[in-house]
Amino acid sequence: MSASALQLIDLHKSFGVTPIIRGVNLDVVQGERHAIIGPNGAGKSTLFHLVSGRFPVSSGHVRLKGDDVTGLPPYMINRRGLSRSFQVTNIFPRLSVFENIRCGVLWSLGYRYSFWHLVERARDARERTDAILEQINLVARRDVPAGVLSYAEQRALEIGITIAGGADVIMLDEPTAGMSRSETEHAVSLIRRVSEGKTLVIVEHDMSVVFDLADRISVLVYGQVIATDTPQRIRGNAAVQEAYLGTATVESDHA
Amino acid sequence: MSTLASGRGHYVVWAVAAIVMGVLPLVFSSGASVTMMSLMGFAIVFALSYNMLLGQTGMLSFGHAVYYGLGGFMTAHALNVVGAGKLPIPLPVMPLVGGLAGLFFAVIFGWVSTKRAGTAFAMISLGIGELVAACSLILRGFFGGEGGISTSRTATLKMFGISFGPQIQVYYLIAAWCLICMAAMYAFTRTPLGRMCNAVRDNPERAEFVGYSTQMVRFIAFCVSGFFAGVAGGLAAIHYEIVTASVVGAVPSGFVLLMAYIGGIAFFIGPIIGAVLMTALQISLSDYTGAWLLYVGLMFVVVVMYAPWGLGGLLLMHQPLLAAGTWRRVLPAYALAVAPVLMLTVGGVLLVETSHHLMVKATEGPAMRLFWVDYQANSPIAWTAIVLLLVAGVWSLRRVAPKVSDAFHGAAQEARQRRAA
Repeated sequence: MSASALQLIDLHKSFGVTPIIRGVNLDVVQGERHAIIGPNGAGKSTLFHLVSGRFPVSSGHVRLKGDDVTGLPPYMINRRGLSRSFQVTNIFPRLSVFENIRCGVLWSLGYRYSFWHLVERARDARERTDAILEQINLVARRDVPAGVLSYAEQRALEIGITIAGGADVIMLDEPTAGMSRSETEHAVSLIRRVSEGKTLVIVEHDMSVVFDLADRISVLVYGQVIATDTPQRIRGNAAVQEAYLGTATVESDHA
Repeated sequence: MSTLASGRGHYVVWAVAAIVMGVLPLVFSSGASVTMMSLMGFAIVFALSYNMLLGQTGMLSFGHAVYYGLGGFMTAHALNVVGAGKLPIPLPVMPLVGGLAGLFFAVIFGWVSTKRAGTAFAMISLGIGELVAACSLILRGFFGGEGGISTSRTATLKMFGISFGPQIQVYYLIAAWCLICMAAMYAFTRTPLGRMCNAVRDNPERAEFVGYSTQMVRFIAFCVSGFFAGVAGGLAAIHYEIVTASVVGAVPSGFVLLMAYIGGIAFFIGPIIGAVLMTALQISLSDYTGAWLLYVGLMFVVVVMYAPWGLGGLLLMHQPLLAAGTWRRVLPAYALAVAPVLMLTVGGVLLVETSHHLMVKATEGPAMRLFWVDYQANSPIAWTAIVLLLVAGVWSLRRVAPKVSDAFHGAAQEARQRRAA
């Protein structure tokens, strides 16, 4: 087994007195595609927020490529190579599609808070942005404001912004939520392409997507990981079936 | 977006701007016009600096005059020091002192206020504005008490025999600084930080997840904005040769918000339009009526309610129509709207002026003159006319408004089709 990309150690999160994440331990190795599944309210999105720095943790640790990133603000975690998408589309609606992607590109190319470069002259940023647009299939929509894109296009843009900075740990929160069957297929092949050679952590409700993409699956129930294993073994895991999937669900969903 | 945004076009735009600013005083050569254009020059810089916060970074400040005013005071003090010591510093670089003062205080106050965004930021900016205004009454040594700080721009080192005594020379000094500041602030919008300002305005949360600290983006934008506000204040100090405590107060802070908003905060050119128009109104209207601030306020309300993109937005909205040549289609509908708008305007002005005369100038008796007509401010006929004008204006404008809207949208759609074809 290779080195771990993301390690969660006894992670806890409570909102007031309500515990949401109750001691999660997880080890995502570099280069794997790891899916997190679980029933509604299990805490999957909260877990994403803890890892990416959106919420402070109550206790426990998050390690990114061996370094402790617990308690760092989101932008610091992002600069260390972890990038995430959002379940509810979270883009820059008044900026053009091109600019949305470029916002994701600028920091990683070292432009930081520069007000002594002109973006029109930043050839590397333009080329990288155009390459990402090509990847997510939005070249034709390059100059329209992101707010007017269709839902599926906005979801693709969401993924584009996430991968734009070249982070090697990508976290996608329900990337195919609300998509039609054919849109989902497009999204899955897009995710497969953009996560090539990277570590992918994905929350997903669509079981066909999960079993199609994931190398390993973790099952989160009531704030705890009850199993982490390969898709085949998860499907056969009695505790998982009982707690979450229901005995017949996996087979029929996957069919 | 704006016409300014496109490629090499902006060199042309800047060259034209420079020529226009150079030629204007030859066309409008009276003393009053040159003075007014000087005022417009630093109002433009001030309004643009304000819009770096409001329009570009989404920060609503109620205390921007702090940096303008402190820049002005520092420039005045520096001018006095330079003049007294015969230091070899020429006048044209003095606005830089104002800019650095604005920057200095923006770093201090910005460090506190940009820790918060939205309403909290607005409240903190209001608090800081009040704080500095209060200080201006206490620290008499620096702010000069009620008399303010007087200075003389002619006491500095002369270069090429230019004394900067005549207003026309000051105008060219202000125009040059205005042009440089406009170009610099426009360039700022095209830098990585300038683009991230827009990103933070649109969606601060997401900006944090692409590697940017929204607080740092806001802070730097605030400092840069403070610098340009300070330059504007320095230019004002040079123009007036006096700075009084009122320049750091709530009134100029509010006025710069009005200038930027009425001009249109979504476009770079908006605050320029706003600054020019509002300065012109301020000068010309205040000669005619004591109620001129009321008109400014009414205009602000109308813009906020009916043209949230400002006058700049209204103008730029028509750019595709001009480009595609479909603008002629809207003219008949717009012509229809002229009469109702005129009725409303005349009715409104009569209402304001007649009330103003009755209430404020009660001692002068009811006789007054407006629109070349002598009448009694308390006569029933005048008031009937006012009510009739207003009612007819509103009624007819409501009839015409849908036609105007239809005509515009029709022309805009045709413009899009022509462009696609």
